Parts: sequence; structure tokens; C-alpha cells
Amino acid sequence: MDQLTTQVLLIEDNPGDADLVRLRLVEGNSSVNVHCVSRLSEGLASLDRETPSVVLLDLNLPDSHGAETFRRVMEHSPNVPVVVLSGQDDEVLAMKAVHQGVQDYLIKGNISSKHLERSIRYAVERQALLRALEMTQKRQLEFKNQFLSHVSHELRTPLTCIHQYVTLILDGLAGPVNPDQGDHLKTVLKSVNQLHAMIRDLLEATRAESGKMRVEPRCIALGELIQQTVTMMRPMAGEKHIGLEIGIDQRLPLVNADPDRILEVLINLVDNAIKFTPPDGAVMVQACVVEADPSSVYVSVSDTGRGINPEAKALIFERLYQDADSVDNNRSGLGLGLFICREIVRLHEGRIWVSSEPGQGSTFTFTLPAYSLAKLLAPVVTYKELLRPSFVLVRVELTPLQVPPRGNWKEMWQQSLETLRRCVYLDKDLVLPPMGTSGAAETFFVVASTDMPQSGVMTARIREQLERVLDLKNKCSLTIMAAPIELPSTVSGQPFLSQSLEEQVQTLASQVTGMITTRIESKQSRPEKRRRDVN
Amino acid sequence: MPKQKILVVDDDPDLVRAMRLRLRANNYEVTTATDGYTAIASAQKERPALIILDLGLPVGDGFVVLERLQNIDALASVPVIVLSARDPQSNEERALKAGASAFFQKPADNDELMNAIRASLGPGQMQPAAWPS
Repeated sequence: MDQLTTQVLLIEDNPGDADLVRLRLVEGNSSVNVHCVSRLSEGLASLDRETPSVVLLDLNLPDSHGAETFRRVMEHSPNVPVVVLSGQDDEVLAMKAVHQGVQDYLIKGNISSKHLERSIRYAVERQALLRALEMTQKRQLEFKNQFLSHVSHELRTPLTCIHQYVTLILDGLAGPVNPDQGDHLKTVLKSVNQLHAMIRDLLEATRAESGKMRVEPRCIALGELIQQTVTMMRPMAGEKHIGLEIGIDQRLPLVNADPDRILEVLINLVDNAIKFTPPDGAVMVQACVVEADPSSVYVSVSDTGRGINPEAKALIFERLYQDADSVDNNRSGLGLGLFICREIVRLHEGRIWVSSEPGQGSTFTFTLPAYSLAKLLAPVVTYKELLRPSFVLVRVELTPLQVPPRGNWKEMWQQSLETLRRCVYLDKDLVLPPMGTSGAAETFFVVASTDMPQSGVMTARIREQLERVLDLKNKCSLTIMAAPIELPSTVSGQPFLSQSLEEQVQTLASQVTGMITTRIESKQSRPEKRRRDVN
Repeated sequence: MPKQKILVVDDDPDLVRAMRLRLRANNYEVTTATDGYTAIASAQKERPALIILDLGLPVGDGFVVLERLQNIDALASVPVIVLSARDPQSNEERALKAGASAFFQKPADNDELMNAIRASLGPGQMQPAAWPS
């Protein structure tokens, strides 16, 4: 395309107006090339084929009207300058257009060729400057993120060396250490751990900002995570004589969330709560379902600290926010903790907020999507508007022969899950999504519409397929078990069978949830991979 | 029982020295290398029971070492624990795919690292959990 020629895409349905504009354009300028279409759809199609210097746009077209017209053009080609040519002298609409990025708003009746030519020239220039500015900003952000991730990596190397030698001496591997020296070294180690946590936060915040933070949602029982958090934080609370209590709703559904990430959020919130609560106070972690919003689980951490003033409440989740007069100056961080929490919760499509009255303590609450088993079950457990007669819960457990497992364990269990899905009847059995279980083992569940005697065929098939597909023998042991899902004969005093089909599925879902969570919670907590350094 | 031999590969000699002290205190025999080429040569000569491997190395980085080890029959089954300052998000999976048995980011918790070493060396059979009654 000739760089010196201005390529104009004119989207105008009135042939008279189109001719007039074309005439005006050609009058004062020989190096302009006008391509005219009469519908928005044709305009967008033309933009797909080639990029004009400018779009001249009538707002009322056969297939689009008013503000919608320029919104769609700019959404389609954000980098092409748009000048509106309108029949109506509507200043409100004109302002709206300019606010949304339209370069100029001209009234058809008042256009001279000089005026039009100048408007186009300026539109092209302004758009080019805007693009250059955007590119610079993007490059700067990329540079900043690369720089931060590089720095946090480089800081780890000397930090590792300090950590290694301090722990060598502390562990007595470099000769005896007297109690005073031991105390001093513990102080050094505490600072090393703080520095380590800051480096980690820095990298996490950078990731969150550049959209590179990842979550791997699974089906998890929150009760277990909360228990784990409290167990980890109890020593820290104990030091300050702060009570740490748990309140978990008995009917809490499973949630769809990344267990490592949510543990991070919980630890962060509890850590803050302890930090801002004076000695002899109390911190409470609760999880419940709110009637008005049954598709979410609400988790809250409340303390008896001095509360947060209203101005701070609005800023507290922002990056680098720090409370000016923290109770305990010893434990200040980078001010990234709550920002990271908010980003993690956002990635789970949840919300996080704080409610607080100065002097009355604070409550941080976040929501997570509840895992709706009933919705997944409904299509497979019913047939011709009736609940199928019997169900079996099959558990497939892969236990690695070594802990940590050798090789790419994740790839291994994902492949197993794929295989498992091929072993069931899609119309009457359901393979549940991976469960966030504790321990090194990976466990999958299948709700099968069959009875116990028949389920043997299925478990044999699963075993045969898994053993054929995977090199299981060298890596893990395979356990396959089945248990009948017992349905109650009455629910809240009413016969089970008198319930609506939807209620019956719901009851079945809660039975399954019960069987799964009992098992999850009965197991030992796993060794922590992303544990925070808490002394 | 003879001591089991561990090969520590890291380009930071100070860190290598600290690792040597700690591993010896835990009753392991230690041999070391500070670059990728020497790491492979040393692995072939010394036949370690386990290798602790950094990723950022001169003369063949950690991934090159992992690949070479996989291609040497006598060494392919030696467990390799990667210990690196690099971001696990972009390196852990890649290292595991290349044959590493575990990934630890520096600075790693000593107890966790020692547990992983013991687990990789020992038979480490786990009993499957029973269905709850």
C-alpha cells in the first residue's frame, strides 16, 4: 500500500451523503483513496481484509445505530482512528464518542473539504501518538516485571548461602554453640526467613500484576485447609497468648479451589490477624454458607485487634499499602500480602473484603465457588425423570512408591484420570474432578449407577486399563475400592421417595460428599510444600 | 553398611561446601562438581546413589545434565533432586519431565530436603490408606 496515500474507509448508507463526502475529500487532496461501504458488517469485513488510515463512520446504518456503531468499530479495530460523521448535532453523544476514543465528531452539513482533510490528518496523528504511548507503557511494564523477577532470583542465591551457613552453625555442625550465640543466630535466621518471604511476595505480586499468576482448582474440603492453617499458626498465636478458634458449618459443601493457594490466603490472613491483635486477644477462622448466596462458601478471619479506620479500609488491598502504626513493628513486610490474597481470590472468581470498626477488631471475608455436585450428577443419575435404583462410589487411589514421587507424577495421575474417564459409561457414571486430598496419594472418585455385585465388572475394567496404559508397577501401588451409596429412607421426616427428583439428587449428592469428606479429613495432613517460614 | 554417595552439583563453591558439611553430618559420602561437564564425568566415575543438581551451571546447564544422565544406561536410574533458585512455576515441570525426581527452590528447608534425599534413596514403601469404617 502506498504510504503517502490516505486510505479512507467510509461507512455510510446514504448514497448522496457518501458522494458528498467523497467529493469533499478528493477536492482538496489528490492523494486520498476512498473505499465506501453501506453497512457496518461490510465495514468490519473490510477492516478484516486491510487496515485503512482512518474510518469515517455514519452512526445510523441499516445494521447498527448510535453509540453501538462506534463501539463495535473500535472494539473490532482498536488501532484504527475513527471519525464520526453524524447527521445529528448531539453534543452528549459526541462527548460520549470522544470519551470512548473516537478522534472527532463532525456534523455532516457543516463540513468543508479543508476542515475534513485537517480532521483526518489530526486523527491519524493522534492515534499514532496514542499507540506509541501504549507501546512504551507496555514495554516499561514488561521491563519492570522482568527486572523484578530477575532480581528476586538473584537475591535468592546469596540468601541461600546465608541460610545454609547459619543453619549449619545452629545445628551444631560447625562445633558447639553456646546458648547466647544460639539465640543470636536464631535472630539472624528469623530475619533470613523474613527476607525470603519478601522475595517470594515480590515475585508473586509481579506475577499477579502481569497476569501470570496461575491457580489449579480442585475439589477441596475447606475444613481440612482451615485445620491445617490453625495447626501451623498456633505456635505463633501461643507466643502472644492469643486464642485461635475454628468455627466450621457442618453442612459446608466442597469448593472448587487451588488448595496451595487458598492455604496461602488463609495463612496470610491469620498471620495478619495475630500481628494486629494485642496479647490475650482472640482470632477466629470461620467457614459457612449464606442462605442468600448458596453457590458460594464464605470464609472469614476475625480478630479482636484495634480495627481498621475507614480510610485505610479502601486502600488495604492495594499494593504496597502499609499500616503506619503497626502494633508490632518487628513484623513489617512489603505490604504485598493482602494484594496477593485479593489476586488469588479473584482468580477463583471470589470476592474479598474487610469489615471493621475502630477498636472493635476486624473481619476479613472471602468467598469461593461452592462445588455443586448435584448439578454434575443430575444428568447421569436420573433416567426418564426418575432416580436410578442403586449407586456405588468407586475410589481409585494411586499411591507413589516413593515420597516425593519419582518422575513427573502430575503427568502420571492426569493420564490416569483420562484413562479412568474412558472406563465408565458417560450416560450413567460420573468421574468426579480431582480431589484435593492430603498426603502424597492421588485419589479419584466415580459415582456409578450400578449395584455392588455389578460394580465388580467396572472395577476390573478400570484396573485392567490403568495397568495396561501406565507403567504403574514401578511408580505406584493401585487401590480400587467400591462402596454402596446408601440413600436414607426418610429425609426430615418425609419418605425419601416423596421428595422431588431435584431433592433426591441433592440428597444423593450430600451422601457422596459425606463419604468423600470423611475420608479426606480422616487422613494425615500432607507435608507442606509452600509453607511460610514461621518461627 | 557402606555410606551412600551423593554428588552435589552447584556453581557456587560456598554453597557446595555447606552442602558437603551437612550431608557428611548426615552420614553420606559426598562428591562435588561446579559445572555441567564435570558433573557428568564425575557421575560416570563416582557412580553416586543420588545427585543434587543446580540448574544454572556453566558448561552445560542443569537441563543438559539431566538429559545426558537419562541417556547413560548406568546413570538413568540415579535419582536427581533439583535444587535451584529459579522459579518453580516455569522450571519444576520441565525438570520433572526431563527426569528429575524432585524440585526444591533455594533456599530450601533443610529438613524437607533431607527427607526427600532419604526417601529417594530408601525403599520408601507406603501403605495405602484403608476405606473409613
